[in-house]
Amino acid sequence: MSSQGLSPSDRSRWPAEIGAAMAVAGFQLGRMVSRQRLLLALLGVIFPAAVMLAVRRTAASGLDRDLAVAMIYALVPEAVCMLGLLVTMCPAVADELERGTWIHLAVRPGGRRALLVGTYLAAVIWTSTVAILAAALAVCVAGVSKPVPLVGMLGALVLLSSLGRAALFALPAVILPKRALVASVGVALVVEYLAGFIPAVINQATVSLRLRSLLVSWMNWRRQLPVEMQLLIDPQPAWVQISAIFALAAVLLVVAVKILEYRQFPPSAEI
Amino acid sequence: MLALTHVTKVFGSVIGVNDVTVDFGSGAYGLLGPNGAGKTTLLGLITGQLRPTMGQIRVFGERPFGNARVLQRIGFCPAADILERRATPREWVRYLVRLSGFGPRAAAERADRELDRVGLGEAMDRPLFTLSKGMRQRAKLAGAMAHGPDLLVLDEPFDGLDPVARHDLVGLVQRWAVDSDTDTGTSGPRTLIVASHLLHEVEALHAGLAVILGGRLVASGTTGEIRDMVDAMPTEVRIRCDAPRRLAKAVCDTTSAEGMRFEGDDLLVVATRQPRALAERIGRAAVEDRLAIGEVSAADQSLEGIFGRLVRLHRGVGS
Repeated sequence: MSSQGLSPSDRSRWPAEIGAAMAVAGFQLGRMVSRQRLLLALLGVIFPAAVMLAVRRTAASGLDRDLAVAMIYALVPEAVCMLGLLVTMCPAVADELERGTWIHLAVRPGGRRALLVGTYLAAVIWTSTVAILAAALAVCVAGVSKPVPLVGMLGALVLLSSLGRAALFALPAVILPKRALVASVGVALVVEYLAGFIPAVINQATVSLRLRSLLVSWMNWRRQLPVEMQLLIDPQPAWVQISAIFALAAVLLVVAVKILEYRQFPPSAEI
Repeated sequence: MLALTHVTKVFGSVIGVNDVTVDFGSGAYGLLGPNGAGKTTLLGLITGQLRPTMGQIRVFGERPFGNARVLQRIGFCPAADILERRATPREWVRYLVRLSGFGPRAAAERADRELDRVGLGEAMDRPLFTLSKGMRQRAKLAGAMAHGPDLLVLDEPFDGLDPVARHDLVGLVQRWAVDSDTDTGTSGPRTLIVASHLLHEVEALHAGLAVILGGRLVASGTTGEIRDMVDAMPTEVRIRCDAPRRLAKAVCDTTSAEGMRFEGDDLLVVATRQPRALAERIGRAAVEDRLAIGEVSAADQSLEGIFGRLVRLHRGVGS
């Protein structure tokens, strides 16, 4: 090899691959800082707060804390995170094909892996930032007591939601790049909101079950829940739920990376 | 350095590359073929974007698809324009070099140096959408070369460029093929493959040629060898006259005519390796036999024409 002195080929590939993934993440975040995306992000930050404000105004005697938390949970770690990830993670491959940049990445060593992992990181960072701001604003607007620990808890749920669901959306992004958005909405509805609410083994492999269980655990709601509602949560401790989300994300990402590494896009698909 | 053995690539019912066997050592090579001939597919196979359906590809002795060791040594400049409009050439090339495994500082150094080398030093901080096509081509070229590859593959690199830009880039890639890597001072063997549908572009590189058509490799060798091969094939001369059968009788007794056929009532097509002698014979016949010659035209000498003749030769059809 001609570039022995500076080439990374002599060294372990791991630092180089991490560096490449970080480079992709940085590049993708740079792409996201566009007027359109910033406007969308602003909408994502304001929307939950606007809903909470409207609900607070209609409530005659102030907003119940538990009800406010449940609403913010539904609006932010669920809705805002889902929508944010649909916009940022789903086009991971389709965007590169449309821009004609896929071919440049596919011929780099580990380029496909770096693309997916880097886009995943960028999607998680972008969505989490927007969602945490949205949660903080919504908590402030709701006027609930002890807002700081609440924002901390919602921030953790946002981060876990983004980590798990970005990995989930990585699969449609690599399997059906040109229909990734539609496929991801389908996956979200079927896996997260249908399978996730079936009280059987199948819901163990969903992020929504883990997030609900964490919310119930951290808010100490378990004893207040009716028996039928208890079927929709997992009674295991928080560390199990968090580990399950990490494990699920890791498995989904590895599968998506393997699929992308194996995929071929004929020349006509690049244009 | 690069060997393809009976390589076939099929996309559904479409054959992209059909039973190609070719070796490329170090040096410059032109891959010549009209649009849709299978050049991009062949380059996709060489650069590890595609897997062959049948056959075997070895680049630096290894299979290229998904092989980081091989991909590290390949630089590829695709034909498609970069639609990454907002990035600057500096950001784009640094990004690509980082994807090749270099750290941020080394990537910055290499990107800046390569952009200078391709003549984008002044424009490297302008967004790509503000640059001309020629400048974007230079940025793509810098991205392909900045990580110091040993095999540089360029797909239609001069397409759409003005003559000055084309001349500059031809010189640039020619120098790449003979230069050493300035970082290490090493001058290991390098291979340059340039795909084009324009013969004169490839001729300007003084490169060996491989001609591809319909996914098949129909000829390979030096420019001179291919020209000799084409010249050795009979040329079709089309003569429009009022009495083609009388004209055929007049010319068939000459050694210059190797085959003939009639098309319609007024057209005679003669295959010959001596078109000048045939033209003289036609002239004499016109005078002696009082024939009215309306038109005499030789076969298409354009690249498409040469390809057509090469294909016929490849398939064993005389003319």
